[in-house]
Amino acid sequence: MATAKRRAQGRDAGGPQKRRKGLPKVATGIAGLDLVLGGGLPAGRMTLLSGGAGSGKSMMGLQCLLHGAGTGEPGILVMFEERAAAVRQNARSLGWDLAPLERKGKLYLMDARLNPEAVISGEFSIKGLLAILDQRAKAMRARRIMIDAADALLHLYDSPMRERHELYALHEWLLDRGLTTIMTVKTSAQEDAPSRYAFLDFMADCVIHIDQRVTAQIATRRLRVIKYRGSAYGRNEYPFIINENGIHVIPITSNVLQHRPLGPKVSSGQAGLDDLLAGGYRRGASILIVGTTGAGKTTLACTFVQAACLRGERVLYLNFEESAESMVSSMLSPGLVLRPLIKTGRLVVRSYLPEAMGVEEHLFHALKALDEFQPRHVVVDAISACKRMGSEHTAFEYLMRLLNACKERGITCTYLNQATGRDVVTESSGIGISSIIDTVILLRQLPIGGAMKRDLSVVKSRGSKHSEQFHEFRITDRGIDLVKA
Amino acid sequence: MKARKRERRRYAKPGGETYVFWLFVAGNEPNSSQARGNLARLCEEHIKGRYKIDAVDVLKDAAAAHKNNVLVTPTLILIKPLPKVTVLGNLNDTRQVLAALRLTGDER
Repeated sequence: MATAKRRAQGRDAGGPQKRRKGLPKVATGIAGLDLVLGGGLPAGRMTLLSGGAGSGKSMMGLQCLLHGAGTGEPGILVMFEERAAAVRQNARSLGWDLAPLERKGKLYLMDARLNPEAVISGEFSIKGLLAILDQRAKAMRARRIMIDAADALLHLYDSPMRERHELYALHEWLLDRGLTTIMTVKTSAQEDAPSRYAFLDFMADCVIHIDQRVTAQIATRRLRVIKYRGSAYGRNEYPFIINENGIHVIPITSNVLQHRPLGPKVSSGQAGLDDLLAGGYRRGASILIVGTTGAGKTTLACTFVQAACLRGERVLYLNFEESAESMVSSMLSPGLVLRPLIKTGRLVVRSYLPEAMGVEEHLFHALKALDEFQPRHVVVDAISACKRMGSEHTAFEYLMRLLNACKERGITCTYLNQATGRDVVTESSGIGISSIIDTVILLRQLPIGGAMKRDLSVVKSRGSKHSEQFHEFRITDRGIDLVKA
Repeated sequence: MKARKRERRRYAKPGGETYVFWLFVAGNEPNSSQARGNLARLCEEHIKGRYKIDAVDVLKDAAAAHKNNVLVTPTLILIKPLPKVTVLGNLNDTRQVLAALRLTGDER
């Protein structure tokens, strides 16, 4: 009885898409983008996707169509510029095989390139195209459509007024059919293209701009939602990547800080340092270890790593300075045996060349590792190398977002920062992130009486008492040893 | 090679070849009506008795439009004599249409 009633209500509401609350939306299936869009694209309405050449518009649209095709929303791709064969091939390079979907009538690629030799004499309209689409859409019960690209269609017309007129006619047609539409349009930094196509922004219910920019010779992709009628959305610029599995947008998961409070004390692995910290680090804290090269940053971090792994906790070590192999062998000298920890799977060391990829790709890999490996602790060695991802700004972005992700998950996050000058104290800020760092430890090497002496100091330890003195320490073959004062 | 053969055939026929046109229109919308009128007039004036016009309404026969890659209306396709020619629009510019269809001067 109750079920029948629910079903009847469901029919009245026009299926699950039309919920009473808020705007009906359809998922794009693009990781992260649905989050930014608060659920997806506006159902039965038009979304404009603008971007320069090679920015990834077509791939983004295609991924959305494919997601629809796989979830009961067949789609049509109208291509004014590309050949269907080329699109199939591009899709294959991302591991998408379109053929089965095409065979099953879930996806239709419509080659709509106009005959370049056609002579134009007098006015015309795109009624032919609409007639073809009408027939197709009805036959396959299409729910989604992508028009790639609107500017190619508009180039046909010789006056801005007629461009507009035709686009409005197309828009009306799409709305009448209730198709969820993605229309792409090329933008160019050189031309005054944005103003020419500005009316498209007004027409569409949702406008997304994507671009690819090069900072310090490293290309990064960015996405921004410019408008979304009747819906809240993430208003920032979000990095995204295109890899062998498609597009991934990396959103900041929420606009409020959802950091977990600091947890109980956890041993730093070094009894003397634990005393200085009144028992150790706090779980879920962010820790910054600063020092010149050879000061013992990695040794101090690995002391913590070893202790954590021996307690049975998982640690992710992101190394931007050296390979796992070389780290394992160099840590043998201060008596830290990491290999068995890697073998048992408690320690995962990922080594990356900072300049090998853009910041968003680094971020993607790091966040994926957090989700897959679920570590209790993360170490980044060293944040000074992260500048090579592009600029100090990109490094800041990477570190900030990784730190946020760790804080949200209650993961202890240790950043190592290599100071270059003598004045280590002023360099301890660590690319401007020091304000959200809970614990800062400074390592120094000082020439005293013809020998280098090492000392360390706890500059800051949020939520905990700590010593404010410099304490001499040695690195022995049994680890770090604090010299008793 | 092929083209030259066609050329010979064309001149071999007394009185010239019959012109075959396909005109794709969208119902009776203004541009389509104009195109119909313009084409009929041009044919009467230049190739009277030697032409055949097949009008296709894309609103009724979308498949034909699709098959011939007709995305805009009106679209005129000269099927014969080869080579095929495509003209888009209401055919208002008579001189341009005649030139495109190779109907300037000597065809009379």
